[in-house]
Amino acid sequence: MTNIVEASKLKKHYGDLQAVKGVDFAIRTGEIFGFLGPNGAGKTTTLSMLSTLLTPTSGTATVAGFDLVKQPGEIKKRIGLVPQELALYPTLSARDNLEFFGSIYGLRGKELTARAQWALELVGLADRAKDAIHTYSGGMKRRINIAAGLLHRPEILFLDEPTVGVDPQSRNNIFENVERLNREGLTILYTTHYMEEAERLCDRVAIVDQGRIIALDTPKALIDSLGGGIIHIGLSGKGDAVAESARALPAVKSIRRIDGKMEIEAHRAQEALVSVLEVANRLDANVTSLEILKPNLETVFLHLTGKTLRD
Amino acid sequence: MLHQILSITFKDLKVLSKDHGGMITLFLMPAMFILVMTNALSGSFSGPSDNPAPLLVVNNDTGELAAEAIADLQTVDGLAIEQTWEGQPLTRELAEGLIGDGDRRVAIIFPADFSDRILARAADSDSPAATVTFLADPAAGAQFLGPVQGAVQGYILRVASYAQAPTQIGAAFDNMAAEAEPQFAPVVKQIGQAFVERLNNGGGLAGSVTDSPVVFEIAAPADFQIEKFPDSAQQNVPGYTLFGVFFIAQVLGISILREKQEGTFRRLLIAPVSRAALLIGKLLPYYLVNLIQVALMFAAGVIVFNMSLGNDPLALVVITLAASAASTGLGLLIAAVGRTPEQIGGLSAMLVITLAAVGGVMVPSYVMPPFMQTASKISPHAWALAGYQDVIVRGLGASAILPEAGALLIFAAAFFGVAVWKFKFE
Repeated sequence: MTNIVEASKLKKHYGDLQAVKGVDFAIRTGEIFGFLGPNGAGKTTTLSMLSTLLTPTSGTATVAGFDLVKQPGEIKKRIGLVPQELALYPTLSARDNLEFFGSIYGLRGKELTARAQWALELVGLADRAKDAIHTYSGGMKRRINIAAGLLHRPEILFLDEPTVGVDPQSRNNIFENVERLNREGLTILYTTHYMEEAERLCDRVAIVDQGRIIALDTPKALIDSLGGGIIHIGLSGKGDAVAESARALPAVKSIRRIDGKMEIEAHRAQEALVSVLEVANRLDANVTSLEILKPNLETVFLHLTGKTLRD
Repeated sequence: MLHQILSITFKDLKVLSKDHGGMITLFLMPAMFILVMTNALSGSFSGPSDNPAPLLVVNNDTGELAAEAIADLQTVDGLAIEQTWEGQPLTRELAEGLIGDGDRRVAIIFPADFSDRILARAADSDSPAATVTFLADPAAGAQFLGPVQGAVQGYILRVASYAQAPTQIGAAFDNMAAEAEPQFAPVVKQIGQAFVERLNNGGGLAGSVTDSPVVFEIAAPADFQIEKFPDSAQQNVPGYTLFGVFFIAQVLGISILREKQEGTFRRLLIAPVSRAALLIGKLLPYYLVNLIQVALMFAAGVIVFNMSLGNDPLALVVITLAASAASTGLGLLIAAVGRTPEQIGGLSAMLVITLAAVGGVMVPSYVMPPFMQTASKISPHAWALAGYQDVIVRGLGASAILPEAGALLIFAAAFFGVAVWKFKFE
């Protein structure tokens, strides 16, 4: 399988602020590749560099085989961008918006009309085509926002947080369309801070935090890396002693102390929980809180960074 | 590229057509200003021929020179000479009473010895000068009194110069004869006598002395406006049209900022569109709107106020094209430096209104003090208004307004240059 995007040591600095601190990754042709991370992690900056909007401070990247810095014109013809904001003209109708963006890519006449109609039907808004965008709900605007990035048949689609602030119906529509477009061969780079979206949609996910990729694999592999799950136990006193004893338990993979709590990475969560509680009881340590975290990408992120995706 | 430029242009025209605030700013506002200001100020801006300024003249001169000066003043376009009031010859007391009552604002008094003193001074420069009294209502204001005083002084000085010339020239030849070699003295004296005789007979050296441009120029004060004044419509229609034309800067600036804030500009930047095409496509609709503004406002001027468009419509087109280039350039500059709608709104309103005021849109520059007239050159409005008025007031053609058009294009180039330098394509 060939790579449609290859990035090597890609950096973007704004003065002293290092928005992207040297990322390496490749996106395979035909896959849905996710960037998962909290706001400010560097997802949109990376996306902006790949879509030629920003020039990297250093590093290299190719998109569809063309160099990011030397051949931006070739890249522009082959990518579609759905920006995080609703990049539409609110006073114009959906059809006017789509036909305008199509015309910018050189479409005209019957082809332009047909592509706009196709995009409207794809997002399920053909019956509202003549209505001005400002009369649409937030979710409907998001759907047209996506449609506008598809008119010129891009080879890769960059979706930047496409479901922010949308209703469940529109969210499902967006998911279905992303999956459908991918089935039809479109490569998609999907940025999100919703772990359930990355888990559902993405073939591979890069977990991004503070300008770095801290993990990159399939969602299953990332989740499996946690073993049987994560347990947080709060103890009043004797925490160090409990942790020391619990490390030797066969169901426990690793233990670390975070903010006064004990985080236990378990091979088998239930067995580890029972064993650790027995140790606490034996050492006469009081348990003040207890939380079992289901293994998922959120837990992976928490485990890797010590914070949640929404922090 | 052309296809993309036209796509952006048509899109922006569509967006603009749905922008009610923008349409009000660009079309309704200047139209209302034209309608209101042209009517409200029709009296103030009436040209000299339409509404000549009355000038009371009291002639006590026992000689002929005051009468000659008065006869000359009666030929001045814009002055209405009055030597009687209700059938009675004017006296100083009567003139003072009329001014004091507010019936008239200015009078001149020729003294009894006006001619005698001028002629005596020709032969003896130490003899006292004739004194003409200029009576004026202190509240009349310099914009009224200045041109009247200039005209009066100019014509009186001219008459005095003509009256003194034969005596002074004769004396000059007598001096030359006295200093010449004895054998040439009679010849110099004869030439002088013939010269003076010819002057006294009104012959002059090459036709009439009164035709002499040099004498006339010396006699005419510099601030005397010989040129035609615009009437109210000729001032306000082009003036407030330009006011609206330059307000495109605000609408354009906000349009570009809105595109950036809403993300559509970002979407255009990742499309295979050159930056030049993007800017041209963005500016062209507003340029076209400027042309439509001028066409509509001038049409209103013709239809509603019977305003003449002069003799050369092409000249109006040239000025309009150049003024529109300057206004869209200013809009791009404002968009390049403004970061919020509030900044763009405030900056554009301040610039456009100040430049309009300095440029003579609200107050004609010819009534401004000299330093303000000089300052008006920094305003594109001033050049555009001068160009329009050259055509519609003075009947000049395209070649005559090329300096104004050139100045506007320099403004446009400067605005575009700085704007492109400061513009952030992100």
